Amino acid sequence: MRSPAYAEKTRGWRPEWSTAYVMVLPFVLVLAGLIAYPIAWNIAISLRPEGGRLLDNYRQILSDPLFAYVTGNTLMWTAGSVTLQFLAGLGIALLLNRGAKGRAVFRAIILVLPWATPDIVAAVAWKWLYNELYGVFNDLLLRFHLIGYPIAWLGDPYLARLSVINANTWKGFSLSAMFYLAALQGVPDEITEAARVDGAGRWSTFRYVLLPYLWPTIVVTVVLTIIFTINYFPLIYIMTGGGPAEATETYVTWAYRLGFTFLDFSKSATVSTLTFLIILAFASYYTWQFTKRQEAA
Amino acid sequence: MRARSGGVGTYGLLVFVSAVVAFPFLWLLLTSLKTYPQIYAFPIAYLPRPMTGEHYENVVVQHNFVRYFLNSAIVSVGTGLLSVALGVLPAYAFTRFRFPGKRGLFITVILCQMFPQIVFIVPFFILLKAIGLIDTLPGVVIAYLPFTAPITVWFTANFFSDIPLELEEAARIDGCNRFQVFSRVALPLVLPGLAAVAIYAFLFAWGELMFALSFLPSQDKQTVPVLLSLFVGQYNTRWGELFAGSVTATIPALVMFVVLQSYFVRGLTAGALKG
Repeated sequence: MRSPAYAEKTRGWRPEWSTAYVMVLPFVLVLAGLIAYPIAWNIAISLRPEGGRLLDNYRQILSDPLFAYVTGNTLMWTAGSVTLQFLAGLGIALLLNRGAKGRAVFRAIILVLPWATPDIVAAVAWKWLYNELYGVFNDLLLRFHLIGYPIAWLGDPYLARLSVINANTWKGFSLSAMFYLAALQGVPDEITEAARVDGAGRWSTFRYVLLPYLWPTIVVTVVLTIIFTINYFPLIYIMTGGGPAEATETYVTWAYRLGFTFLDFSKSATVSTLTFLIILAFASYYTWQFTKRQEAA
Repeated sequence: MRARSGGVGTYGLLVFVSAVVAFPFLWLLLTSLKTYPQIYAFPIAYLPRPMTGEHYENVVVQHNFVRYFLNSAIVSVGTGLLSVALGVLPAYAFTRFRFPGKRGLFITVILCQMFPQIVFIVPFFILLKAIGLIDTLPGVVIAYLPFTAPITVWFTANFFSDIPLELEEAARIDGCNRFQVFSRVALPLVLPGLAAVAIYAFLFAWGELMFALSFLPSQDKQTVPVLLSLFVGQYNTRWGELFAGSVTATIPALVMFVVLQSYFVRGLTAGALKG
């Protein structure tokens, strides 16, 4: 694409800039129109309920006892899922990194299957596993006499939280495992060899050689998992609907219910804006870490 | 790191972990092949005897599954194609041009990948209603773009940066202008990657529930995830049909993931690991 003649005359304006701007323009319009504008609008909707005063919504939401409760739920849901996904992800990456014939098959099952399963399908599959009368979990526990009567997994506040966290760990660990596996494959042979020559055992090789090497990847992956977990909606919505009695309600399912069950868009926008601010904090940290490392490279 | 070859213990562990991980889906598949008396057998009937395809038949004949499947396909193909159409040029500009504002724009792209859908749901609902696109398939495609377009740029930029610069420089010396270098040299080289990226966006739309549930009230417009979500919870769940539909919805996604996993992993890990 020839740059227009006037561009060359302008001091400092380089012809390639014009080409670049033409290339990014449609995308920038989408960013502005479909991302910046809706977010700004959502904030605007949240600021004033119909016929109310500025910030009324925030005053009401923040002083609602449910807000504190949902905050606790969101914390448990996020901390539990992220911890388990980290442990499962790292453990499985270490396992898959060992050479074994037929690795491709194991990888397809362990890494790809949960990741590829649509959210809704994962949710109904787990809902069925936890079923009180016909679920596999109760059946196995009863068969081995570990329990005397069927457990209502999704009917008890604590068990319901554990159950959705467990299901989410299944759905999400493969992404973490993939990141860790890719990082492990980048570990230079020399350093693990050197550790072995120095007489380091398996644990100390992991603790003092691999772990420091993996650390930057771990930080980035954990932050990313936190963000995805806070945002994640379908699993809880389908498995428990936020119940029993709001025990698994997170910010996202609460905002959804406010908007699309109670049709209170203004309150819904308030909760989602608060969620957005939390996500923005984590996302900014991630982006900062990320660009820092890119520029260092 | 070179892998030490594993022994029997490694194999045992791999088989065990694979079995545990595969179980929820395997169980769903088995349940979809059972008759209702078997589904509701107590104690549990572990294997479908006799095996039945009745739920698959029911979901197609009674619940018009084909319509939902087609709607899902239209929305997903639309999302995939539009995302790539929007993303490919900026991705190239990011990898091969220097221009003021590039850094800021790139940071925005990374940030935007992480924004929660819930923030968009109310404004999109109002917006789509205002422009008459609520309850239409194109309306949902538009709502998906903010989530697929940034990641498309991101993935595609990584594929472009894998092309050796010398190739493009040689083309310029041969008299190609910048746009020709892009269209004749760079673009053909990233086509396989581009297909993978389009399918990644396709799969986002294929499985998406929250927007589809809220923006598509009419049955004849709904996608497969919406149909599946409607089987849950009204009085009692129709597990047989639900799982027949679930298996059918998962197979295409699974095939695409298995075939394209190396592209997806490369695109994603480049983000987390580069540097």
